[in-house]
Amino acid sequence: MQAASRLRGFMPGFASPTVGNRSSDRLLPWLLVPVFVISILPIARLAIEGVFVGGVPSTDYIRDVLGSSTTWRAAANSLYTAGLGTIISLLIGGAFAFLVALTDIRAKAVLVFCFMIPMMIPPQITALAWVQLTGPSSALLNALGMAPPMGSPQPFYSAEGIALLLGIQHASIVFLTLRANLRMLPREQIEAARLAGARGGRLWWQIILPLTSPGLIAGTAMAFVTALGNFGIPAMLGIPANYSTLPTLIYQKLAGFGPSVLGEVSVLAMLIGMIAILGVAVHHRLLGKRDYRLMGMVGRPLDIRLGARRTLVEAVLWAVLMAILVIPLMALVATALVPAFGVKLSLANYSFDAFYEVLFVQPSTIRAFHNSFMLSVGAAVTLVAICLPLAYVIVRRPTRLTHMVNLLVEVPYALPGVVLAIACILLFIRIPVIDVSLYGTLAIIFVAYLARFLVIALRPVMNSFSQLDPALEEAAQACGAGLGRRLRDILLPLAAPSAAAGALLVFLTAFNELTVSALLWSAGNETLGVLIFNLDDSGDTVLASAVAVLVVLVVIALMTGFQLASRRLPKGVVPWQT
Amino acid sequence: MMRNVLLAAVASAAMMLPVVGQAAEKLVLYTSQPNQDAQTTVDAFKAAYPDIEVEWVRDGTTKLMAKLRAEIAAGDPRPDVLLIADTVTLEGMKGEGLLQAYKSPEASAYEAALYDADGYYYSTKLITTGIVYNTGVEKAPKSWKDLSDPAMKNQVVMPSPLYSGAALIHLSTLTENKELGWDYYQALAANEARAQGGNGGVFKAVASGEKPYGVVVDFLAIRGKAEGSPVDFVFPTEGVTYVTEPVAIMKDAKNVDAAHKFVDFVLSNKGQELVLDMGYVPARGDMALPEGFPARSDIKLMDFNPAVALEQAEANKKKFADIFGAE
Repeated sequence: MQAASRLRGFMPGFASPTVGNRSSDRLLPWLLVPVFVISILPIARLAIEGVFVGGVPSTDYIRDVLGSSTTWRAAANSLYTAGLGTIISLLIGGAFAFLVALTDIRAKAVLVFCFMIPMMIPPQITALAWVQLTGPSSALLNALGMAPPMGSPQPFYSAEGIALLLGIQHASIVFLTLRANLRMLPREQIEAARLAGARGGRLWWQIILPLTSPGLIAGTAMAFVTALGNFGIPAMLGIPANYSTLPTLIYQKLAGFGPSVLGEVSVLAMLIGMIAILGVAVHHRLLGKRDYRLMGMVGRPLDIRLGARRTLVEAVLWAVLMAILVIPLMALVATALVPAFGVKLSLANYSFDAFYEVLFVQPSTIRAFHNSFMLSVGAAVTLVAICLPLAYVIVRRPTRLTHMVNLLVEVPYALPGVVLAIACILLFIRIPVIDVSLYGTLAIIFVAYLARFLVIALRPVMNSFSQLDPALEEAAQACGAGLGRRLRDILLPLAAPSAAAGALLVFLTAFNELTVSALLWSAGNETLGVLIFNLDDSGDTVLASAVAVLVVLVVIALMTGFQLASRRLPKGVVPWQT
Repeated sequence: MMRNVLLAAVASAAMMLPVVGQAAEKLVLYTSQPNQDAQTTVDAFKAAYPDIEVEWVRDGTTKLMAKLRAEIAAGDPRPDVLLIADTVTLEGMKGEGLLQAYKSPEASAYEAALYDADGYYYSTKLITTGIVYNTGVEKAPKSWKDLSDPAMKNQVVMPSPLYSGAALIHLSTLTENKELGWDYYQALAANEARAQGGNGGVFKAVASGEKPYGVVVDFLAIRGKAEGSPVDFVFPTEGVTYVTEPVAIMKDAKNVDAAHKFVDFVLSNKGQELVLDMGYVPARGDMALPEGFPARSDIKLMDFNPAVALEQAEANKKKFADIFGAE
């Protein structure tokens, strides 16, 4: 039976259970309950707004929205920018992951550490930085005497500008998922291939790429879905160019605030959700055809010698890093230091007033740091607890139900933050039966974070479960180990590194989350994202930049802490550690 | 493992317990004023009425309304009082029966155009929209028409009425004006003026010199100039358009008495002093003007009718989108 199961291979959604006994299996569906509550109910509640007009079921909103050419143009624009952005993420993130994980380039730890930071800078700020950098008042270009004249067209206000920044912003996602995978690549297999005469390209196409395809596919899917729901970059770069994507179209609908606004937003949200699900379904299809399982952890990772080309490769990597990290960071710091917006920064006029103001005058900064810290740690811990058993069920007990859940968890992540926030308000303002309201408390932001980031925590764990050979479990079961025992002694230790990596990713993403909390906050419950957004929104861009600089500093400090602690943690827990 | 899940569930449940505030009297305020201004207003009101506890939420009008719409759809709107950007939004809410009327005794000090005759909303300040320009340019514009001068081709930026409520009012005012009308917008489009998001973005584009001329609300430019940004503000010769940050009471307000007190307070001399201190033009006719502004008599307000603006809103947006090739 075991041999048969191995021959049949692993096909999500189609294979029958390979291991397990009936009594423990009956408990498994219960694991879906928390997922259902936190991530599917709010979306379902929002969908209801789209199919009722004045309390009566109706297809009016659907017809209006789907019948409008604006909708389809925005959808096409979303597909184009998200698609092109994903390709860019894949090129940058993939190249970094392969080179860092498989070759003998130097200073890997520093390189990877720096590569993680762009993801931590809020997208709005990245966009602002690039526009400032390439505009007429650019401190850098002015110093070089290359600044364009006033009023010259800004190349970033275009579809390709949006795609480029989306690509840069999400390259770390591809990098992280791929790297978790590369970590498990056995050196022995490559050496065997080499002995058999495989060289260069053949080694890549026939051994390395197939073995790492689950991570590559997962990373691509995640980058695509993230880019699809991104609001900050298309808002900063697309609105000036009259270029709408679905998230900015939703924002525009909200700005019109007629009575039909929620209905139309709900239909547009469903459209984004469907594109995301479609994208993910395609990827699952691709993934389902593959079965490359590996036996536990590898002792020695692969180590390709680059030889004479090593210095050149290193130089290119560092140059890319300069472009995607140093530039936005420099612009951010410069904006935080100017005495007033638009004034050119110089050695004579820089000022730390903005930092003083946000740190010592306005109590909201410290409060926001505290709130964001609690929320992101809470979300990371809770999500890991939910995701470990959930990933097991989805990977090892594929049924139609788990397959559906697996697709639907993408939706809260793909929706623009503001739409997820509306869904949470509708559902949690007054919870039926127990008549408790989460609205106006930190709890509603917490639940929204769980919904939004579930998929970030889930995918790495699923990825590592699907790479583990069930033979390990079968052996344990043959010795009489029940489900609980197998989870504790076999599966958890092997999945722990990817679970920890997922948790860390959730923590870092939630820490400066911008748009979900923007609608859900209330007095005293502000998050860092809300603080930055509100300051910028009310014209205090300099103060907003100062808070953003502080956030980046704290994140770097935390990452340094993890880096230092990584020697004492199991291998793979710290996602960027070499 | 199950134990871990349970622990996590209990922990998250504990976090979910709502914080219940207990006060003699309460007031829930939704406002779109900038953070600091909102804090100042609430602090002053609490100083005047120490027994009233104020819960307030500050956000951009757009997001505030999205939040409020969701609350209404869920059957539980929270605010008692709204203090938000424009009368057109409130005119719409009045039409939908979402507001309640209150005749404030302070109204007598206000011009009739600045409040609703039935008492559904009252203007609290004048935020005018004029022209901002980067001081790096050679020639300062004087009138709205200057912006359609071919010399300024591709140099002008303005907030988009598709995104900004104040910009929609601006559009409505100028297109209803006999001298300007839709021809003016055609000329702007021909001049390749850029319509982008909100006022903040326009100010940034002008201050950074990316587009040297812009259409923007007065206080952003005048405050920016005072802080040292390289910009100046012009009150165009044809007059300025304006929004008035009106205050209104929700139909479903739970604290009606406190809401009345709040409306009276912001309209009173004392409340209007605050508006002045924040650097805005108070709506009350007998008040001084903040530094950097010309005399009240020199600010020419263009004619504006919220009811017409509301009626025309959708058609105006569509026409604008057609002319500017926007989506």
